[in-house]
Amino acid sequence: MNAVTLALVEPMEHATHQRAPRPSSTLAPPLDEESRSWLRDLRSEGAAKDQAIARLHGLLVRAARFEVARRRPALPHLRGDELDDIALEAADDALMSVLRRLDDFRGASRFTTWVYKFALLEAAVKLRKRAWQGREVPLEPESWSLFSSAGLEPDAEAEQTELLGTLQQAIAEVLTPHQRRVLVALALNGVPIDVLAERLNTTRGALYKTLHDARRKLRKQLENAGLSLESWLEEAN
Amino acid sequence: MERPDLKQALGRLLGPGEAEVGCEVCFEQLDRYVELELAGGDADAAIPGLRAHLDGCPACREEHDSLRALVGGEQAL
Repeated sequence: MNAVTLALVEPMEHATHQRAPRPSSTLAPPLDEESRSWLRDLRSEGAAKDQAIARLHGLLVRAARFEVARRRPALPHLRGDELDDIALEAADDALMSVLRRLDDFRGASRFTTWVYKFALLEAAVKLRKRAWQGREVPLEPESWSLFSSAGLEPDAEAEQTELLGTLQQAIAEVLTPHQRRVLVALALNGVPIDVLAERLNTTRGALYKTLHDARRKLRKQLENAGLSLESWLEEAN
Repeated sequence: MERPDLKQALGRLLGPGEAEVGCEVCFEQLDRYVELELAGGDADAAIPGLRAHLDGCPACREEHDSLRALVGGEQAL
């Protein structure tokens, strides 16, 4: 069973505020000929189905290797054969996901684009987990002292000190312990969301909702304190 | 040690600050979003809240960037 995809499709409680409406899938155009052909072959029996699955696996291997190649510079400690094993495992898991969810494909994109995302997801998750294998996941703030104010004008330094002080206080006082751990790990300490989900025995969707709620609380607290966030955030993203 | 950029750090802590979809809707819609982007369409209007989610979720952003690079590379061939 594929834990990665299950984690993503598990129902998630949606907040009624600050959540975009779920996009409609009823506007999907008619299937293009290539996509229809893929579905027809994958739903057939015998040799035609086997050949279609083999072709599909080939596409997924290609996509997984593409993802591995993109991330390879960040994984210098892994040998080439280890990386290719990860790509092949990712393609195998993606194949299971695609075949299980074939009825979910509505033709909103080409079939090949739809299947690629499964392989890319599986490969990315495996590589993030591999990169953090054996590493402690930091759940407490480690980085506040790095926000040095050296070189700032006195007014800007005072403003930054006030902002960081209010932010630290809000994190300590306004968030629940779980929200604090999740926010600190994901947003401050850079722990990948899949890695944290595995360590905390939860799902990526549930963790992101916790992060989203924590962020809303912090924004509100800073706004209540009269701090203007726009000037600090205008170039953040 | 290099000082992290405060604005980027605040962006990660405070998130996009606008309506956004969650990770599972992002995954559902990612293929359509990327094809719209590559075709020059208005992906953000077609799928509200996905761009904000990509701004707030590094993992989904990485997967978006990979899918766009893979499909875009194929189209360029």
